Amino acid sequence: MGRVSRRGAAGLLVGLLSLTAALSGCGNESADGPVTLRFVWWGNEDRAKVTRAAVDAFQQRNPDIKVETEYSGYDAYFQKLSTQVAGGAGPDLLQLDRATVGEYAGRKVLADLGEYTGKDLGLDKIPANLLEGGKVDGKQYAVAAGATTQMLIFDPTHFEAAGVRVPTAPGEKWTWAQFAEAMTQVGAAGQVSGTTDFGWAVDWFEVWLHQRGKALYTPDGKLGFTAEELAGYWEMIGAMRSDKGVSPAEVTTKMDGSVQNSGIVTRQAASEIGYDSAVTGYFGAFGPNLELAPLPSDVAESGMAAMPPVSFAVSQRSKHKAAAVKLLDFLVNDPEAGKLLGASRGVPPNEEIRAQVCSSAEGGSKAVCDYEAAQQDKIGPAFGAWPTGSSAIKRDFQRTYDDVIFNRVSVADAAERVVQDAEQSLGS
Amino acid sequence: MTLSKRLVWHGLVVAVLLVLLYPVVWLVSTSFKPATEVISTLALLPRDPTGDNYAEVFDGVGEFGVLHYFWNSVVISVGAVVGNVLSCSLAAYAFGRLHFRGRGPMFGFMMITIMLPQHVVLIPQYVIFQQMDMVNTFWPLVLPKFLATDAFFIFLMVQFIRSLPRELDEAATLDGCGPVGVFRHVILPLLRPALITTAIFTFIWTWNDFFSQLIYLNDPEKFTLPLALQLFIDQATQSAFGPMFAMSVLALLPIGLFFLAFQRFLVDGVATSGLKG
Amino acid sequence: MTQSVLTRPPVPADPPPTPAARGRRRRGQGVAYLFLSPWIIGAALLTIGPMVASLYLSFTDYDLFEAPTWIGVDNYVTMFTGDERFWHAAWTTTEYVLVSVPLKLGLALAVAMLLNRARKGVGLYRSAFYAPSLLGASVSVALAWRAMFSTDGTVDRVLSSVGLDLGGWVDQPQYALLTLVALAVWQFGAPMVIFLAGLKQVPRELYEAAAIDGAGPGRRFLSVTLPMLSPVILFNLVLETIHAFQAFTGAFVVSSGRGGPSDSTLLYPLYLYQRGFTDFRMGYASAMAWVLLVVVAVLTALVFRSARRWVFYAGENR
Repeated sequence: MGRVSRRGAAGLLVGLLSLTAALSGCGNESADGPVTLRFVWWGNEDRAKVTRAAVDAFQQRNPDIKVETEYSGYDAYFQKLSTQVAGGAGPDLLQLDRATVGEYAGRKVLADLGEYTGKDLGLDKIPANLLEGGKVDGKQYAVAAGATTQMLIFDPTHFEAAGVRVPTAPGEKWTWAQFAEAMTQVGAAGQVSGTTDFGWAVDWFEVWLHQRGKALYTPDGKLGFTAEELAGYWEMIGAMRSDKGVSPAEVTTKMDGSVQNSGIVTRQAASEIGYDSAVTGYFGAFGPNLELAPLPSDVAESGMAAMPPVSFAVSQRSKHKAAAVKLLDFLVNDPEAGKLLGASRGVPPNEEIRAQVCSSAEGGSKAVCDYEAAQQDKIGPAFGAWPTGSSAIKRDFQRTYDDVIFNRVSVADAAERVVQDAEQSLGS
Repeated sequence: MTLSKRLVWHGLVVAVLLVLLYPVVWLVSTSFKPATEVISTLALLPRDPTGDNYAEVFDGVGEFGVLHYFWNSVVISVGAVVGNVLSCSLAAYAFGRLHFRGRGPMFGFMMITIMLPQHVVLIPQYVIFQQMDMVNTFWPLVLPKFLATDAFFIFLMVQFIRSLPRELDEAATLDGCGPVGVFRHVILPLLRPALITTAIFTFIWTWNDFFSQLIYLNDPEKFTLPLALQLFIDQATQSAFGPMFAMSVLALLPIGLFFLAFQRFLVDGVATSGLKG
Repeated sequence: MTQSVLTRPPVPADPPPTPAARGRRRRGQGVAYLFLSPWIIGAALLTIGPMVASLYLSFTDYDLFEAPTWIGVDNYVTMFTGDERFWHAAWTTTEYVLVSVPLKLGLALAVAMLLNRARKGVGLYRSAFYAPSLLGASVSVALAWRAMFSTDGTVDRVLSSVGLDLGGWVDQPQYALLTLVALAVWQFGAPMVIFLAGLKQVPRELYEAAAIDGAGPGRRFLSVTLPMLSPVILFNLVLETIHAFQAFTGAFVVSSGRGGPSDSTLLYPLYLYQRGFTDFRMGYASAMAWVLLVVVAVLTALVFRSARRWVFYAGENR
């Protein structure tokens, strides 16, 4: 038994490792002829229905390409994707989000789309500022599957009851002081907090940094902010917390960016900072009587940006990259696909298709189209993709903020710890 | 036993049950809440009860009807039960009764396999099934059970076998039975409670197992109930929690019935096993 | 059958063989391997390789996608000297194990004894007590649990009504771990069933004999039930301890994978998962797994060693 098992184990081990190593090289581009692609995403059933309809349209137009689709919930998706890619059975076309574009590109899982651009892949109809979000080290690794931007979503009834006006007209803006004042008034007047505490998510701190000419990460992938800046930001929010301007710790700690846990939907806050791609979700879970407003800023720049809510990327290990790129191109550029996909991944990235989809939008999608049109001048280019290690940073940021709101650590010490942890995550 | 004693007993049992079953009742009752109430209230009873969630589930989940996922779960769970009962009882008999070289170390290694966290062996195991071309089939979920990889059950049966009086084996040996005969005619019948326990646990745990089914099944046509359940959940847009609760309740029914049916054998099995000698 | 507590190792040592027995045993060896063959094939094919691979990876920097690079014991050094969260997770898990295992086994044994009688409706009761364990740890259960333990949830309202206003447990760092303990204890069905099966095997005559000797219920429990049940207690203790050290799904679904609030539910396996799959540091995660394995193995060995003093096997009584 001993000898047999040792030989078996060694064999498997060597097999595993050589396989992993072999797969980090390029996949072979296979010749023409019928190919089968695997295309994976996360999302709900509505997204799945429209995506499969678009894929069917693609297959009809390309009879020699067969597309197998797979989808699952968010957590499950990345667990499975990592295992598949590590095990040498990754998909050809995949959906990624903000943090994972950088993580996967940095670990050489994604194909550089540069050589296909202008040939199989048309990017000229997609706004340049949106394409930034898919670039790592100047190379296009992912293409926005939609467009979104930051927003404040609010329940006007609470604001009217408190006699507070929110600037929603085009061109109108407010400062952080006015924002804090408004939220505190709403909190004082009613049962709910003015807004969901937004200190937990690195995304909104990123906006705040951009208003100060800074960024979360420098272009060469280093940390772009100091502990003092983070402490200042958290102090500002802390001042609102003591006056019910922002939600209490017990509510804030539940935030995970999902609609069902959000302060508005659980009726614990009158407003919330978020991405406008989630508006349809808010409308569905809360009701349609919600309005959108821009984020506050003390300077001319709003700090808001056109962001890809999710992106499509092609696996570096795919044997059929050209076909996968073709499918990607179809999904973002084809009018028929655009009509089918609608706003299932945020408003369409392609400007022509966006105009078309927006002209017939209703409900949540219409609110988003209107908001983006009103804020058009204020929306800057997408922030660059995050570097490898950013998933850990994003999580550590929130965990440390938990310690702040539960008064387990001073803001200064917490900010210091975030910076230290982040530098360690970036270093590895 | 007097009547009053019996009443006290029933009262005690029911009181404990009320506390323990409250969350289960909440779960069932939530499946009858309309979509807006599901996430916004914590109340036990729906203000406005509706069967919509169930209607939605029966309309189909993903591309398939709900029975499709039930069937896949049944196939995998039954396969796992058969595999575990066969392979683990064989191994347990060897560990519990037979003498052979390397028994101590092998038993120790078996215990070790229970202790290693699954997440770190996941990828190597995936590679193995990938090499055997078994990914996206039911094999990675059923084959390991036929190879006694659920050491938990081997240990369970070893403990049972070791508490069976050896006089029984010895009597059978004197009657001319070899180890195979002893296993078939003495151990296996006496092991029935442990076998039933194994069957029940395997069925329920496989039925609820999300993780390995997620990893190994790609094609929605092969999806099982746990995989279909997570199709209702979405971070970025809207989750359909109402139908998810409804389907969770439906998914409970088969395992609940399975338990109800088999727990009887648990008792009978021992009562008739003649352990008194 | 005596009731003395025998001193036996977990796997019985072979008594010195007689010449006749030796011949029988040699023939028995082949048969033993035959019985073991599925397990041996399974171990060789599916278990040993991945275990060795994970041990190897624990000495490497492995990000899941690129080939692993050998870094010696760096992962282990970082873990013990430079990672506060590692120690925090280890301590959280220790607390979790120490509280949840005795509570779960105690409740399981109490209910098993309550149900261990031939009464009308006992089968139905048994199923009802098992119902929570049927649920597993799905998203539905996590949501139900949050409804029980969040602010203004059931537990909060009940406690507030008796003047104990603690707020929602699930949202507060000082109580959140208790909700995971409660979840584990609530699903006590598996050890309960195993206890029940064990109780059924206790020969009735022993109780009758003890009763004739004038032993009351307490005495009968101590001198008949406990010794006769000791192999089953050992089994449940070992398995539930191992299981508690590996507790992952409950913490994962209840805290949406984060282990919050404030890392208060960051159990060791959850941290291991985060390291491996969110931080892309599978080498480090593998090292963590092997540390856990060694700790649990040593603990299990200690329990087995102590078992020689308190576990009684009828089958080894000759």
